[in-house]
Amino acid sequence: MDYFSHSWLPFMYLYGLGGLLFISGIFITIRSGSLNLDSISHWRWFWTLIFGLVWYMSIHASLTLAALGFVNFAFIIMASVILVSSFATYWIINRKVI
Amino acid sequence: METGATTFHSIGTTTDWVVMVIYFLAVMLFGSYFGRYTKTTSDFFFGGRRFSWWLITMSIVATGVGSHSFVKYSAKGFQHGISSTMTYLNDWFFVPFFMFGWLPILVYSRIRSIPEYFEKRFSPSARFLATILLLLYMIGYIGIGFLTLGKAVIPMLPKAFVLFGVTFPITLMGAIIVIAIITGIYITFGGQTAVIFTDLLQGFILLFAGFALFFIGISYLGGFDVFWDLLPIEWKLPLADFNKPPGFNFVGIFWQDAIAGSIGFLFMNQGLIMRFLACKNVNEGRKAAAVNILFILPLSAIVVGNAGWIGKAISISTPSIVSPDTSPDQIFVVVANIVASPGIFGFIMAALTAALMSTVDTLINATAAIFINDVYRPINRFLNSIGKGSPITDRHELVAARWASVAITSLGVLAVLAFKNFPTVYEAHGYFHSTLTPPLVVAIFFGVFWKRFSPAGVITTFVGGVALMIIGARYPAFFIAPFDHGIEMNPSRPYSYIRALYNTFACIGVGMLVTFTSELQDKLIIKLKKRSSSKIEMSVLSAIICLIMFFIIIGTGDLTIDTIFTVLIVVIVPILTVYFVTYNEEEATKGLVASSIKEAKRMFKGSAPNNEIGEKIEVYFEIKNQEDTKIYFSKNDMKRMSASPGDLVYLCDKRKWLGGLKSIHSVYGDPHNDDGKVYIDQGQSETGLFSDGYTLVAEKEM
Repeated sequence: MDYFSHSWLPFMYLYGLGGLLFISGIFITIRSGSLNLDSISHWRWFWTLIFGLVWYMSIHASLTLAALGFVNFAFIIMASVILVSSFATYWIINRKVI
Repeated sequence: METGATTFHSIGTTTDWVVMVIYFLAVMLFGSYFGRYTKTTSDFFFGGRRFSWWLITMSIVATGVGSHSFVKYSAKGFQHGISSTMTYLNDWFFVPFFMFGWLPILVYSRIRSIPEYFEKRFSPSARFLATILLLLYMIGYIGIGFLTLGKAVIPMLPKAFVLFGVTFPITLMGAIIVIAIITGIYITFGGQTAVIFTDLLQGFILLFAGFALFFIGISYLGGFDVFWDLLPIEWKLPLADFNKPPGFNFVGIFWQDAIAGSIGFLFMNQGLIMRFLACKNVNEGRKAAAVNILFILPLSAIVVGNAGWIGKAISISTPSIVSPDTSPDQIFVVVANIVASPGIFGFIMAALTAALMSTVDTLINATAAIFINDVYRPINRFLNSIGKGSPITDRHELVAARWASVAITSLGVLAVLAFKNFPTVYEAHGYFHSTLTPPLVVAIFFGVFWKRFSPAGVITTFVGGVALMIIGARYPAFFIAPFDHGIEMNPSRPYSYIRALYNTFACIGVGMLVTFTSELQDKLIIKLKKRSSSKIEMSVLSAIICLIMFFIIIGTGDLTIDTIFTVLIVVIVPILTVYFVTYNEEEATKGLVASSIKEAKRMFKGSAPNNEIGEKIEVYFEIKNQEDTKIYFSKNDMKRMSASPGDLVYLCDKRKWLGGLKSIHSVYGDPHNDDGKVYIDQGQSETGLFSDGYTLVAEKEM
């Protein structure tokens, strides 16, 4: 049975359209000056926002792969995201100036 | 109820009821303890803007999980599997707009309710319309909460009970009325501080109870592998099928929940907003939002949906225990009763009902805040202006707030009638969100991020948008079908979810059309105002528009006439607004749009913000009665904090586990020479709930 309309099609729609809205949000807030990347605090928030999108994409991708029987791939994706995010968090928190 | 679905009564034992009663008494005592900290309306509604992010994050769990309840997600988990988590995992897209647009504007402009924003940003008439729409939204939300509570409790109750020889049948509405009385009593005497602390406790308990049920259920089935293998692939996928069935499809739910629902929840749910406003500053609010959405929501998705997944697995392995025909809205209670032992089941049910009560009491508190801020105070101001009012004290307002809570609870019970005939709570909630959120969501969004958006735009978005939504609901095959993405139309409840796309599109379209044609409207009004009879003409036109709106609401029965009427509304309302409303874009947008957040900060402080990064310092307080409300630190301490007289300061009890309960905001006064000491007055000591001998931590706010 073909599960495309139940798996990757909604995934692409969710992160295609949702991602577009998210990027618009980042763009509009930077352009309006309310998200000021010259401030260390805002710079950290910027990376937190990016992490959030990647985090949710990886959750959905992993669950979809696991449901379709690719459990190992799902595990690798989640483990990689958690590992990379942990290193990135350490680096971002310890950075005192931009 | 689902047609032909199996329903249950009298589930549970006496032990379970005893556990539930003890749980409720404990929670109410806990809330009452913190209710004593409610002294002013600010405390009643906002908890005094003092709390740490972690406390707000956990208290949001109970509100969020309650509102997206165990009942409805377990129902969808049972019917469709793990895709019941969809609505919990799609809230991140609008977070940049919230964190760096709406939240700082709300805090820095000292706005206490969403309609107040509409008055400051647009006009009093925009506030009036926003108040009506928001009250409808909040009361509808309370109705959904009560309906869910009723559906959760009914399976545990007998079909009837006998009192003095008379048999009383137990009905859904009867159960809801009793629940409403208990909820109303609690919120009326507690206030926001009590709600925040009760929700904090319940947030932990809910996560614990939900995961306990999951692990007990998995163990009942024989382990995770057995559970996983029992589920068909469709039940394991995290997203629903793209466009079928009409009752649960991805694209409809994306527009209803990820778009309208997420913005509605983050931007216009007064209950949630009041939680964020209870944070000690904007950054703490951002942290609360980020941790909640990134980590707590995925956990909550498992907590609320797992009973449905386990129910599905049991119905496949042993259908004699859980029939596949079980009423979806009862599956949570049924599964909990099967897998948990007596007492544990009572605890899980207590956690569930308490969570729902948390949602409802937050919403009642929030709606009372809107009533006081946007109805009671403006009416009193008006009465005072014509010399018929009396001076209103904080005590008067607190009493009014408590009576408002009672009235709102009653209206919430009445609102249940509008939703009780939907097959599941999920569909009732989806329909509700799709219908009520778009006009306010679009208005807030354009208001915050589009400086050019004017009163004409917002009022026409409200009136014209609602008119378009009404005719869309009346002729779905004509208006909504072009947006349906291939979803089949269910004639009895057409396009429950995807109507959100049409409604949002209609409101955006109206807002943009009016804003882009604003110069034309201005030119027309300049010409009109030159006529001596223009005021009479415009007043007559207003009356005609009201009449047309009335016909749209009741319906003429003809598509063409309804459409022409709607077009007339969209064309004439902006002209009337430009004529009657005085508006200065530069003044009205100062500090109230995303592009002027710096100005908002400046207005909040009253002078240029001091952005220099300083240390947090530890001090002891000493009471000295001052002539002003400033607090006084030593020169050296102020230097360490990089603070100057006039900057804003936050002073808090050092004990972190208090989460900011004992704290105040104030302004730095001129420095003295006693290092490690802060001079405050008696009133500040009482407001901050400071205790003698305990260390305080001071930090510069800006």
